[in-house]
Amino acid sequence: MDTIIIIATSIAGALITFLFNTRLGLGPVKSSAWLTLLIAAYFHYCPDVLSPYLTRHIPVAYIGGSFIGMVSARQLSTYTGIALAGLIFSFIYLNTSKLFTGYGGALGTSACISLLVVLSIPYFRTKRKMTIGLLQLRRLIIRKPAQKKRPG
Amino acid sequence: MKRKQYTRIGIIILLFVIQILFLLAIFRENAHSYLLAILVASLVLLVLYTYRKGNLHADGHEFESYKIAVWVPAGAVCSYFLNQELGLGPVLAAALTGTLASLLTYIPWRKAYFQHLPPAIYCGAFVGMSDASVATDITFVLTAGCFTAIFLVVSKSVLKGIGGKPGTLAFLGVTLTYILIYIFRQ
Repeated sequence: MDTIIIIATSIAGALITFLFNTRLGLGPVKSSAWLTLLIAAYFHYCPDVLSPYLTRHIPVAYIGGSFIGMVSARQLSTYTGIALAGLIFSFIYLNTSKLFTGYGGALGTSACISLLVVLSIPYFRTKRKMTIGLLQLRRLIIRKPAQKKRPG
Repeated sequence: MKRKQYTRIGIIILLFVIQILFLLAIFRENAHSYLLAILVASLVLLVLYTYRKGNLHADGHEFESYKIAVWVPAGAVCSYFLNQELGLGPVLAAALTGTLASLLTYIPWRKAYFQHLPPAIYCGAFVGMSDASVATDITFVLTAGCFTAIFLVVSKSVLKGIGGKPGTLAFLGVTLTYILIYIFRQ
């Protein structure tokens, strides 16, 4: 259950930051820092609301996800792509190496890797490509049977 | 012109290598689980593919102004102070530093200059997120902040608009400082 909450937090962090960054036009730093400040301050001053594991990991997963939401809409503009990057980030975060524990910037590196992985699939980059991709997929699945030629 | 091109190639290779090393460390620790190992190996291949084929970098190579980059160590020290000295923890420290930095955009004079500062200060704040076992003192943070500032200057046209780029630069700065200290202490 805790793992699911961490995954959901990363995805939510990415999506909310992206929404504030692009749709509300706050810009990347404000979108990431302001919302993270609220969440981190809440868990810092109310540490007994959730389990110690979640109290420790939710703010970290949220700020990591928020780095994904800082992406420019020119590079990635679909919510599906952002959510997928959040999912990949949570996978990296949950399995991160002990070698780099405590290194500043490790979360940003994980976020950057997640975005690069999503950007390798052009289908997720823009809504237009996604629509074309979906249409092609539909055409593949629901292929009309070729009309039989009438003799004569 | 050639120097700019070499710098561009150099920083791209550096960013790629640090990200692959990061993934390989996960791969090494999880080699016992085939599924996890395959997933990490796939991530490595997809990152490699994006670096080769993706439209990640701006066409020409430009350098960030040093007047902006000097704020990176300032962000690092501020975040380190909030994190280690005041005991707020890494996330709250970085978020508070970023929030304070974002308020600079509301200063009515020299708007063009102040608008560029929050990303640099926020980038520095990631250096200050380091644990006490890594960033042992303020000298470490300042050195890592200076390295990160240099990486920020040379990487202006690289990974344009990709979230997590400032974090990767901070990670490079921290890792480089850690390695240098390790070598000098031997």
